[in-house]
Amino acid sequence: MLLPYVLVGAALFVLGLVGFVTRRNLIVMFLCTELMFQGIIVNLVAFGRYPLRGEPTLDGQIFSMFLLVVAASEAALGLALVVLLYRNKGTLDANAWTTLKDATA
Amino acid sequence: MSGSALILSAAVLLGAVGVYLAMPGSRLSLGRAALVLLLGAGAIMVGSVTRMLEANQQVWFALFAALGLWGAVRVVTHRRPVYSALYFILVVVAVTGMLVMMHAEFLAAAVLTIYAGAILVTYVFVIMLAQQGGDSAYDAHAREPLWGCLTGFLLLAVIANSLMEPATGSAAGAIELPASAAGTVQNVGISLLTTYVVGIELTGVLLLAAMVGAIAIARRRAGEDTAGEVD
Repeated sequence: MLLPYVLVGAALFVLGLVGFVTRRNLIVMFLCTELMFQGIIVNLVAFGRYPLRGEPTLDGQIFSMFLLVVAASEAALGLALVVLLYRNKGTLDANAWTTLKDATA
Repeated sequence: MSGSALILSAAVLLGAVGVYLAMPGSRLSLGRAALVLLLGAGAIMVGSVTRMLEANQQVWFALFAALGLWGAVRVVTHRRPVYSALYFILVVVAVTGMLVMMHAEFLAAAVLTIYAGAILVTYVFVIMLAQQGGDSAYDAHAREPLWGCLTGFLLLAVIANSLMEPATGSAAGAIELPASAAGTVQNVGISLLTTYVVGIELTGVLLLAAMVGAIAIARRRAGEDTAGEVD
């Protein structure tokens, strides 16, 4: 049955989204993107296992595997950037990095 | 709107209020109320959804769904990043359990190894490097928790309602799994090295680029403009 898995995947994705928008710690924000990846993995595999029409295939699982690679690259690069930003300003607060923002806003 | 869609919408609403109350530094700091609301929302959602499954899957699905959602809420709302990272391992374990239930055994092992074994260790190391002291002000106060929860859970309500439409619901019955679509190492390996072999090659290039990029970025000294001068 497709529906329960897709709903749990959607809930995980939304929780990650809420966390990414509301938390101010750069590391926690990156953790929340990983949370969204988890929701997407559940969704992909569920749609591969219970397709709306046709036979079940492995495509969802293969796509999840590529997603794992992208997630690992993202974590490596993102955390390297976090370390660099921390060395520059000594804080992990996302609000400390608003130099690109319009000064009048 | 059918009855189950209404119930799910109510659960989503409860969850939104619960997450808002549980956010660090929200104006109404009601930890107990948030806990009750979140437990209620989770119980309604997991309970109403679990009944659609076959009987032999219900207990495990309810267990993994509850674990995963609870862990996710704690990742989002915990004040200390180390605990967020540890709760994220709980989410990974729950997701892995669901993958096994859907006969994606190899993918489940891969996710558990890569996420809990590799990515989370990197996170914990960065937390140790970058955040020695205890609680910090920016962890204790969320940024616009009301609007964040509103938008996020609005999206979830829309998804849940559109999933509950009869057309989708009736199309997704029990489907027999053919042996060729089970996620065993053999099947996945054959698929990866025949149909998706170009993707595998590109993946290698991406990983190499990411590794070189991460090393180049992390070795740069603070205040330095160029990335060179590494010996």
